[in-house]
Amino acid sequence: MGNETTVMKIYFELNGETRYEEMESGESLLSLLRRLGMKSVKSGCDTGDCGVCTVLVNGRAVRSCTTFAAQVRGKQVTTVEGLGDVDDPHPLQEAFVEAGAVQCGFCTPGMILVAYELLQRNDAPTPEGVRAWLSGNLCRCTGYVKIVDAVLLAARWKREGRWR
Amino acid sequence: MRLQGIKRFHYARDVEEALSLLSAYAGRGALLAGGLDLARSPRSDLEGLIDITGLGLSYVREEGGGLRIGATTTLTELLESPAARRYLNGFLPEVLHRVAALPLRNQATLGGAVVSAHPWADIPTVLVALGAEARWTDESGEHKAPVEELWRKPFRKIFRQAVLTEIYLPPWDGGFAFERLTRSAYDVALLNCACGLGIEEGKIAWAQVALGATPHRGRRLAWLEEALVGKSPDEVLWAWVRDEVRGKAEVRTDRRASGDWRRAVAGTLVARTLAQAAEKAVTGDG
Repeated sequence: MGNETTVMKIYFELNGETRYEEMESGESLLSLLRRLGMKSVKSGCDTGDCGVCTVLVNGRAVRSCTTFAAQVRGKQVTTVEGLGDVDDPHPLQEAFVEAGAVQCGFCTPGMILVAYELLQRNDAPTPEGVRAWLSGNLCRCTGYVKIVDAVLLAARWKREGRWR
Repeated sequence: MRLQGIKRFHYARDVEEALSLLSAYAGRGALLAGGLDLARSPRSDLEGLIDITGLGLSYVREEGGGLRIGATTTLTELLESPAARRYLNGFLPEVLHRVAALPLRNQATLGGAVVSAHPWADIPTVLVALGAEARWTDESGEHKAPVEELWRKPFRKIFRQAVLTEIYLPPWDGGFAFERLTRSAYDVALLNCACGLGIEEGKIAWAQVALGATPHRGRRLAWLEEALVGKSPDEVLWAWVRDEVRGKAEVRTDRRASGDWRRAVAGTLVARTLAQAAEKAVTGDG
């Protein structure tokens, strides 16, 4: 097929903003997002198993380490930076703080985004449902109890209208 | 993850374009939909990636009691589909909820599971038990074959020059069940089993039994299926199944489990799965 360039450019939406970005044809979405300054997206196992690189693509949680950047052409990508920040946290982020669900914090962005997809679909999950939904995201600090508590707290807030 | 040596990433608009690109790359191009397997098991010989998610192959359609599932349908799309929930009273969603974690199900496609067909995977075992048929297109035309037959061929070589388009699941009048043995719910199976039974007038009319991750890919136990027909689905039969499978199951050792362990538990796993299938067949619950 000749010696075409390995670099390409695509449009996609990142946290609500349209972007036109350059990338290598074989580059991962994880690599692209970190180059673009989305440092909430962590690099962990690089095989899709640990969940620290999770992002939302068109509202669905996916592993950015096993997604090629070029696959998000024309799609909406959301990272934790798109939910809220220290000055204006999303209720789900507040729930994690309130419940004491953050220790080292490395797994937290992935946990929050998977939980965000869950709560978009079901704002009254059971503790078992939350555990099943989060089962692919690993945490080496908390033992998961407080994380499940945080998601259940956020679900209650969502039912009470404290959401965005 | 970064695949080195990739010169172009293409977005195919139809099957013909995908085939043309595969042909142009002469074995150094790969199709992707979810892309999981390419990312997890990178091939150093690749020069081109061809995205086939624009081919219109993401669908779940009912046909005469069976299901036609487009190859790029994600596992999440499949398990959330109303048609899949109706097929065998929700057997597929029941299985898929136990396959991998949610973000991986959001990416992984049924076609990817057929093309990769990892020996340790759960989906091949389920598809074999269901008698699934794979349908694909290459430059010579359209082809189809039961997945079990396809996987006896050099299927990975076939799909370097072909597009898997659809998986067909035939209708069944009976119950299906699936069980897997793992260290944790999220781990790769150490052994898995899918069984279907049809029961008429208290006797087994037909049986489909597949055992996988042995560590071989799921295969039907034809000798057991034949032996079950005409028998009463009861504890006496399940005890016989336990002993027979323990004696005859073709298992071996790999890095995940020993052959001795697999042999010791295979009989119980198959008997347990059959008992569940029998219960569903009797209650009409899938």
